[in-house]
Amino acid sequence: MNGGSEETLATGVLGEGRHDPGTPPAGLRRAPAGVDGLTTEHLIINMGPQHPSTHGVLRVLVEVDGEEVVAAEVSVGYLHRGIEKLAEYRRYDAVGTLLDRGDYISGMMAELAFALATEQLMDVEVPRKAHWLRSLASEINRITSHLIWYGTFGLDAGGMGQFLYGMRDREALLDILEALSGSRMMFNYIRPGGVLADMPTGLDAKIRAFLGTFDQYLDEHDQLLGGNEIFQARVKGVGVIDRSTALAFGLTGSNLRGAGVDFDVRKARPYAAYPELDFEVPLGTNGDAWDRYNVRMAEMRQSARMIGQLIDGMPEGPHMAKVPRIIRPRAGEVYASVESTRGETGIHLVSDGTEHPYRMHYRGPSLFAAQALEEILPGHLIADVVVIIGSTDVMLGEIDR
Amino acid sequence: MLPATADIKRLLAAIDGATVAEEALGVIARVPLAAVNEALGAIKAAGYESLVDFDGIDTGELIELTYRLRSFSLDLEVHVKSTVAYGGTIESVWYEYPSALMPERETAELLGIHLAGHPNPKRLLTTDGVEPLLRKDVAIRTVEEVKAR
Amino acid sequence: MAIERLTGEHSMLFVRSEQLFDLARRHSLWYLSFGIACCAIEGLMSTSGPRFDFDRMGVFPRSSPRQVDVMIVAGTVNKKMAETVKRLYDQMPEPKWVIAMGSCASTGGPFREYPNVVLGVDKIVPVDVYVPGCPPRPESVQYAFIQLQKKIAKRTEERLAARNG
Repeated sequence: MNGGSEETLATGVLGEGRHDPGTPPAGLRRAPAGVDGLTTEHLIINMGPQHPSTHGVLRVLVEVDGEEVVAAEVSVGYLHRGIEKLAEYRRYDAVGTLLDRGDYISGMMAELAFALATEQLMDVEVPRKAHWLRSLASEINRITSHLIWYGTFGLDAGGMGQFLYGMRDREALLDILEALSGSRMMFNYIRPGGVLADMPTGLDAKIRAFLGTFDQYLDEHDQLLGGNEIFQARVKGVGVIDRSTALAFGLTGSNLRGAGVDFDVRKARPYAAYPELDFEVPLGTNGDAWDRYNVRMAEMRQSARMIGQLIDGMPEGPHMAKVPRIIRPRAGEVYASVESTRGETGIHLVSDGTEHPYRMHYRGPSLFAAQALEEILPGHLIADVVVIIGSTDVMLGEIDR
Repeated sequence: MLPATADIKRLLAAIDGATVAEEALGVIARVPLAAVNEALGAIKAAGYESLVDFDGIDTGELIELTYRLRSFSLDLEVHVKSTVAYGGTIESVWYEYPSALMPERETAELLGIHLAGHPNPKRLLTTDGVEPLLRKDVAIRTVEEVKAR
Repeated sequence: MAIERLTGEHSMLFVRSEQLFDLARRHSLWYLSFGIACCAIEGLMSTSGPRFDFDRMGVFPRSSPRQVDVMIVAGTVNKKMAETVKRLYDQMPEPKWVIAMGSCASTGGPFREYPNVVLGVDKIVPVDVYVPGCPPRPESVQYAFIQLQKKIAKRTEERLAARNG
């Protein structure tokens, strides 16, 4: 925006001077200058937007000295499609259709964040059953999303089998979500005031049947990928995000918990049915890719545990509060956040009392993980780049919005 | 959770024109644009180590900036708000909070303001020549435009 | 025709080379693993997963545009992405086909009103098959590939008829 920096993509300007207007703050790593004093010519490698390991249309410009990454620049915006702008022209019950397509493999969480924000301005009491159905949908969706991450993270590290097994379990869960909400991926199930529909008859038996085998399958998954010595060698000690870096770059979710910071929105700011559920928050210690892998695998176990509790204790009653057909919340400004698959998904909602939101800001946790990549990648070998990107589990839909 | 209003007031005592209030959004400190860096520095020194969110709102007359700060050790959250005119310049806070790097670029681009002191003040999401799309005076396509595609 | 007449001991089949190549092309439609948005999960990942398993149709993902026959445009194309899509299409060797998967790639979909979104990928590259849906189910993509196979066969027949005609 400033004069002289209008170009869209910088090529060949990843140098220090451009990135460093002053001394870096304490705790931030700078690129090493050459290897053992000998410098070779630096090469800038473009990765993406079409690359099998960037999980969408992420573009990373990597400056390498031999095999070592000395600087990286993350270029996003290849999926910018105006979710925030279009939400200003949608009614409150239709904004969910846009948010589904934000973080598109765990759409329930963004819907839930928006519903929670709207309800703060609505004076509506959400029925207990709606809370439980919201948690149930979120946890099922969390497992589907983590299974995709599990499959593609293995693909990044060079494995193929775990992708097929992960997708097998995901299809079983998508059937459940389809029975619940009517769609495999784009639900618009969680609305302001409750949820769209009750559980259909027989779905609880289907979920129980899934849970009966899932724990064993999860052990198999863990053994297949995490038990592989080559995989361990590729992720252990790679992509370390220590506590100070994670906090400085605003990371949340598994990336933050992998660094040992005990923060989970479900525990710290309980919403939906989570105050009544018994679950643990898995933590890592070093903050490397292996810790993040273990945290996510443990999260799937906890989610399965929660789904069992939710099915057993599902209350009776209505699933939707009485809300007007056209929702007009009172004017005001609120913020609601939920623990989505990738971290804290926040909705900053400004209402002016009409049937459309005045402004809706969608905090995508992946945006913060993506900008942290610029800090994490330098110092690693070029082969580790895809592993690190895979381990942070970025989702381009919520980066670009 | 919310901090006590008096605590934030004490932190910002050195800044002229700073007001602290508790609203539906949470505890909000309103500071003049020139004092944003100073205010954030004071709040960061009090243990708010992470900038969780940053965005801008086009109010119709000017742009309102919201910084959402969190302390993980104290489990507290505070919002800092400031305003900037259309086409104005905001000082980057990346030195205090590196997580503001990309959200600042995005806000500057989509709301048509300029960045100062930013290490990489390029456009983030769109290409050159795209107008600031989140402004209220920039309209979306009409039905006729879409149908005549 | 009975398969044993083709595979028996003294079997013999007369076929034009074009038809033979055509047969091979129809049943080895390799696609570019190039997911833009939500449709990529349904159209590229679920389809190569165990339930839908497009591999049995000879439909298989490749990572380089120089090795593929089909590009599935799976997602919203915006103005920043348009150049890349065009360049990827230009890098693909002939003959090549494009499937516009989902309403975003076909017309702009739910994001059609946003000025930064291209109203359909057919503004940038020629499209052979449009798949409706948001996102389309993997079965729809399978049907699109079957339609594409028919289209390839028909084109060869037409060319042969025109030459012999």
